[in-house]
Amino acid sequence: MGIICSIQTWAVARFPKPDFTSGYQYPEIIHGVPNEWFWNILDVVLLIVMMGLVVWAAYKKRSRAIILSMSLVSVLYFGFFRSGCVCSVGSIQNVVTAAVDPNYHLPWFVLLVFLLPIVFALLFGRVFCSGVCPLGALQELVNVRNFRLSRAVSATLSMIPWIYLAFTILYAATRSQFLICRLDPFIGIFRLGGDLGVMSFGIVLLVMSVFIGRPFCQFLCPYGALLSVFSALSWKKLEITNKGCINCALCGVSCPVDAIRAPQNSRTKEERTRGVKRIILFAILLPLLTLAGAVLVGSQSDALSLAHKDVYLYELLLEQESNPEMEESLEVETFHALGGNMEELKAQVDDIREDYKFYACLAGALIGFVIGFKLLKLSLKRGRKTYEIDMARCTMCGKCFNYCPQNLKELKK
Amino acid sequence: MKDKEKLKSPMDRRNFLRTCSSLVAGGVALASGGLLAAKASTKEGDVFWQIDPYKCTQCGRCETDCVLTVSAVKCFHANKVCGYCDLCGGYYRPNVKELNTAAENMMCPTGAIKREFVEEPYFEYTIDEELCTGCAKCVKGCTSFGNGSLFLQIDQERCQQCNECAIAKVCPSDAILRVSNENAYKLKDHA
Repeated sequence: MGIICSIQTWAVARFPKPDFTSGYQYPEIIHGVPNEWFWNILDVVLLIVMMGLVVWAAYKKRSRAIILSMSLVSVLYFGFFRSGCVCSVGSIQNVVTAAVDPNYHLPWFVLLVFLLPIVFALLFGRVFCSGVCPLGALQELVNVRNFRLSRAVSATLSMIPWIYLAFTILYAATRSQFLICRLDPFIGIFRLGGDLGVMSFGIVLLVMSVFIGRPFCQFLCPYGALLSVFSALSWKKLEITNKGCINCALCGVSCPVDAIRAPQNSRTKEERTRGVKRIILFAILLPLLTLAGAVLVGSQSDALSLAHKDVYLYELLLEQESNPEMEESLEVETFHALGGNMEELKAQVDDIREDYKFYACLAGALIGFVIGFKLLKLSLKRGRKTYEIDMARCTMCGKCFNYCPQNLKELKK
Repeated sequence: MKDKEKLKSPMDRRNFLRTCSSLVAGGVALASGGLLAAKASTKEGDVFWQIDPYKCTQCGRCETDCVLTVSAVKCFHANKVCGYCDLCGGYYRPNVKELNTAAENMMCPTGAIKREFVEEPYFEYTIDEELCTGCAKCVKGCTSFGNGSLFLQIDQERCQQCNECAIAKVCPSDAILRVSNENAYKLKDHA
């Protein structure tokens, strides 16, 4: 009742403006607005400078020290000082929303924050992940040991970022919620407070990253998944040493994200036709998996659409109607108080559900395609003569540089 | 035969495929970047979160759902709308027996509303933002029984400008929106 009362009466000036006789002046109240424009420019400039420095450190100097100091700067500036928003990982959602919704204003710096790491990935690999992304840098700084997960486990787990990305796109395109921002595990640490569940997840991840290299980057980050595609096709390839590999296997042990591939010259002999048959099988499986994903996720679109505020409200209203004795939730109360029209809401909800059908199919297709593609990729075997960096996985932490005896020789001179 | 040709070729199949897909990836990045840039440059981006005070229903979620431990939402006072009443609906609880500053009479749970005598019969009310938690109790009192000069607004110096406002997601009246720099504060006395 209180709400009804207040809504109908906000505009009423019940009491006239006072006539002051003592010469009272209304106090001048100034509300401060931070200079976001300045900070955004500084963010973008720092982003470019730091990524440039990492490229220089990795390609020219082969120095982990520079990359680590970048990580520290990133955690302090992008993490604790700027407290995380807007980050490249989250900017996926702004970009998706802008692509779908013509009324959404995409600020230019959000676009830059989204595009610049991709451009760098196309040129030099995942430079952004290395020492510029505060989420990756935080894990890098606490990492001490790296217990290696088996290839099968890590290949399976590395599907999660793509599934995460698919649902992020689904929820951003339907304007339901920003999943990445909601589930960002480290933002609570940077802000020293936040949702308890997500924060404790972040702390668990951080403790894990002491023993496993960058668990968030490897097995969760959707932007990392996106960058890995561009990085795999990058113009320059990072080399562990320019002195020539001596196949000592030390770098392979050092890599925290298992991105160094051992030489495969002694691979088991396999009949050529068998290999070709397998590839053809997976190539046929690829569109089938894509289709299956689309159908499977698409069929769940109504359940998924509950993440949208309006759909949730509509379902609450229906529940309320069928069970009038239920205590009214705040949403329902406000809806009635504001004189909401059930018909209008239903029309809206139908529109949203229609959107959901399409985007859920799209998300499912993406998931199916990625799984199929991963299978296809795993079935391809390539000969290698030396230790090579898998650019898709490498986060350019620079650990392997110091392990390589060829590099150390150079340093001693 | 074929093997010989392969050796002569300046680029083997794998490299050819790689270069092609690199070009495709670059093209996709450039094209999408260009399309989005065209969108981004035509309009000024909305950065700042604000509450539309005329949509707010004082549900109290601003206090509890902000990502900050103490919400960035504060009570603002539009002096030019205020009636400067002695019996203030935002200052005293309804149906108080005595008009004094005893805690049981006060609407504000943290004592963030300061009251100062101006002249008979007017009192000036100011909000101490440091103490205010954005619980909206006074706002509700003022909009229900007074001129509605007290209202909730997001303090830009406290707001973290999250990519998605956590309060906006639970606001039952969709009162929270993003505004541009020139319009960084939606106030009541400027309307």
